[in-house]
Amino acid sequence: MKLNSFGRLGLAPWLPWGRKHDLPAFLRAYEAGPWPDPHKPWREARYVVLDVETSGLDERRDALLAIGLVEIEDGRVRLDRRWHTMIRPPEGLLVAASSIRIHGLMRNELSTAPTFDEILPALIERLAGRVLLVHVARIDVGFLNRALKPYGTKLRGPILDTARIAITQHQRSQRLGEVSHDMPMPAIQLRGLAGSFGLPVYGQHDALNDALTTAQVFLAQAARMDQQGKHTLKAFLKSGGV
Amino acid sequence: MDEIVTFLRSYPPFDKLPNEAAELAASQAQIEYFATGSDILIMDGPPAQFLYLIRKGTVDLVHMRTGEATVVDSLNPGEGFGHRSLSRSEPPVVTVKAHTEVLAYLVPAEIFHRLCEEYDAFAHYFSASSFDRLISMAQQRDVDASGYLFQTRVRDLIRRPPITVRPDTTVREAAQRMREENVSCLIVDLPPYGFHDVNSGIITDRDLRNRVLAKGLSYDTPLREVMTAPATSMPADSLAFEALLLMLERRIHHLPLVEDGRVIGMVTNTDILRRQSSSPLFLPRQLERARSIEDLRNYGDQVFDAVAGLLDAGASVTDVGRVVAVAHDALLQRIIRDAEKQLGAPPAPYAWLVLGSEGRYEQTLRTDQDNALVYADDHPADAPEYFSALAELVVEQLVQCGFPRCTGDILATNPRWRQPLAKWQATFARWIEVPDEEALMRAGIFFDYRQVYGKLNAEAELRPVIQRGRGNTIFLARLARAALRTPAPLTFFRGVALERRGDQKDLLDLKHRGTALIVDLARIYALEAGRSETSTVARLRAAWREASVSEVDAERMVNAFELISLIRLRSQRSLIAQGAEPSNVVVFPELSHLDQRGLKEALQAIARSQRGLSMAFQTDRLIG
Repeated sequence: MKLNSFGRLGLAPWLPWGRKHDLPAFLRAYEAGPWPDPHKPWREARYVVLDVETSGLDERRDALLAIGLVEIEDGRVRLDRRWHTMIRPPEGLLVAASSIRIHGLMRNELSTAPTFDEILPALIERLAGRVLLVHVARIDVGFLNRALKPYGTKLRGPILDTARIAITQHQRSQRLGEVSHDMPMPAIQLRGLAGSFGLPVYGQHDALNDALTTAQVFLAQAARMDQQGKHTLKAFLKSGGV
Repeated sequence: MDEIVTFLRSYPPFDKLPNEAAELAASQAQIEYFATGSDILIMDGPPAQFLYLIRKGTVDLVHMRTGEATVVDSLNPGEGFGHRSLSRSEPPVVTVKAHTEVLAYLVPAEIFHRLCEEYDAFAHYFSASSFDRLISMAQQRDVDASGYLFQTRVRDLIRRPPITVRPDTTVREAAQRMREENVSCLIVDLPPYGFHDVNSGIITDRDLRNRVLAKGLSYDTPLREVMTAPATSMPADSLAFEALLLMLERRIHHLPLVEDGRVIGMVTNTDILRRQSSSPLFLPRQLERARSIEDLRNYGDQVFDAVAGLLDAGASVTDVGRVVAVAHDALLQRIIRDAEKQLGAPPAPYAWLVLGSEGRYEQTLRTDQDNALVYADDHPADAPEYFSALAELVVEQLVQCGFPRCTGDILATNPRWRQPLAKWQATFARWIEVPDEEALMRAGIFFDYRQVYGKLNAEAELRPVIQRGRGNTIFLARLARAALRTPAPLTFFRGVALERRGDQKDLLDLKHRGTALIVDLARIYALEAGRSETSTVARLRAAWREASVSEVDAERMVNAFELISLIRLRSQRSLIAQGAEPSNVVVFPELSHLDQRGLKEALQAIARSQRGLSMAFQTDRLIG
């Protein structure tokens, strides 16, 4: 009785029996966690390294067209658990022809691709319980949150940004005098960064190749941070958390 | 993904396999990144769970034995490891350490076994036995030698306390004591008695034969009249190899070992050589037994065998050079003594000099003769004729023993190089005062002289003339410029610059573009500092304080010299063993990765010192 009246009064949304009640079970499970313990060594956490392809840079106007991801477990990239999917844009959201060419995604491929609604359970299963690892988080996180909004949820759990780690590492080197003070920030563009570590760059731009490149950049950064005495996920989040 | 497949397909064994093999491996692979210096697999640790394929960086295979780590090999991108441990589920037999930051593709066990089953070429390439051979070679080297001659302390070879006698013991009693104790030598305790200090005497079974029986002395002769005192001894902590060299140089077979000033035991040549088949110690014995030059025909071959044994045993080139010098000197001395017997006593004091590499103690495998003769200024009229005959005889007999004449005719048989002392002093002085092309070339050979025989003291008479070059900046600068004419063979990007000769490519001349460069630099430093050492390593270590090279760079050059010489020697040795002519040229890509990397670092060290020398003498500004 009492509870129902709360609901009628419109006080329910932040209470578990309010908005949450409407979430599908898999999203409720996602939100409930558990998330990796930040005090444990970074290697013990599981990561999902993700990259998206979009029709533009504005998540409110442009569409999410593809998602690629690989996982990192025990400090190793798992190619056997790679995942790549295209996403059919919502009806009425026209995709500019120019951006389609950029990503090499064909219009007819997209027209037969599953919708975001259809891939959502598979995506959520891969994100659950893992640290999300992206390069330049604003784009990927922005688009994903925008896509999740109609479902009444958003990304949870810790997020690491390899571009941000690159910047803090550069600032650290400047502070320690390892690079000259006026030395400009090295490339934080993904391929440039991979090149600076002498890492291979995989194929042409597509979500899976870029996720794989990001994953290797992260392993190289992690090896260096390890040597700087930063062993825990918490220390990593301090250097490049979002 | 496609990129990983392409990478795998560009190296064996995937290059010979269908695309599906590489696709299977890539699709199931994991990727790991290792920090510099981290251990990827640990010797005797948990078995490998993956086949590791290096994408970026270099790993070292390190063999650990009693605290000593030996790098057995190093692997580069495209190469794999872990397969032996993986296929047998056994602990790794080496530690795999990241030499640089390393990015590796890891093929899980299940996929590895599937590839082995489906593709014979894959299974064969990653067969455990190919890896075992490499390791067993490393272990063999370990046991044979470094584990023995170069790691054993003589203290560990002592089998019992020394047997001591008093100096008034008679030779008869001494012989009986030797028989009772079953030993071949006794320590003679000298006053103060009971304290076997370093001044103690020694008596050996050979002494009894040579000094008592052969001379017809009475059996009642007291030992003090026939013993050797003080005996040549050595600290008990010395290495077995050092003991071997000392015995070789002094031509003795028994060595008392000393600790805190007291003799604590004995070691004999047989104690040390029990595990060595062809030993340099047998060479002098062979010389003693030879009745005529006919018996010494194959002396050169025997020196070669001894050197080969030492190389297998892990000897450094400096060690080998000392052994060869002792062996060659002994032969030369024997030949000269025989020649003197034949020609009669020399009319004046003289010195027989060996030059170039032999003068620097750097002769290793078979090489030409380079020699010269100096005789006293105050000599009778027939002396030149006598020395001419002596030189002819000695040089010819050396040829007979397997040492061909120098092609440049730098031999004591050439009248130019067989002169009275004053002429030599003038010649040396002129080379320094007027350093033209010929003088610089001669200085490089003659200034590295070493006296092997003769009563005239060439070191005291000739070295001071050379040392006058110390303050002569024009001479030194010319010498520096000549030395810098051949730069270390490095490309613009600091890789190794290789040559092409006829059909052959990727060649590197380890002598003319390697060791010779270091020898030249070391000679200049020694002249700059006025040092009298002739060996390159000794020059580098002695001269840096007063020469234009830092201690660090000098030490780097010592290592570079040892390494390049060793690779050269190993290659020559295998050529000779195959019956081919020894050569200084190697095909660079055929060397192991470890040697390739070492050579590159060695050549970079030379280039660094060359730049330093160029700056010190401003050789770029010198005109004329």
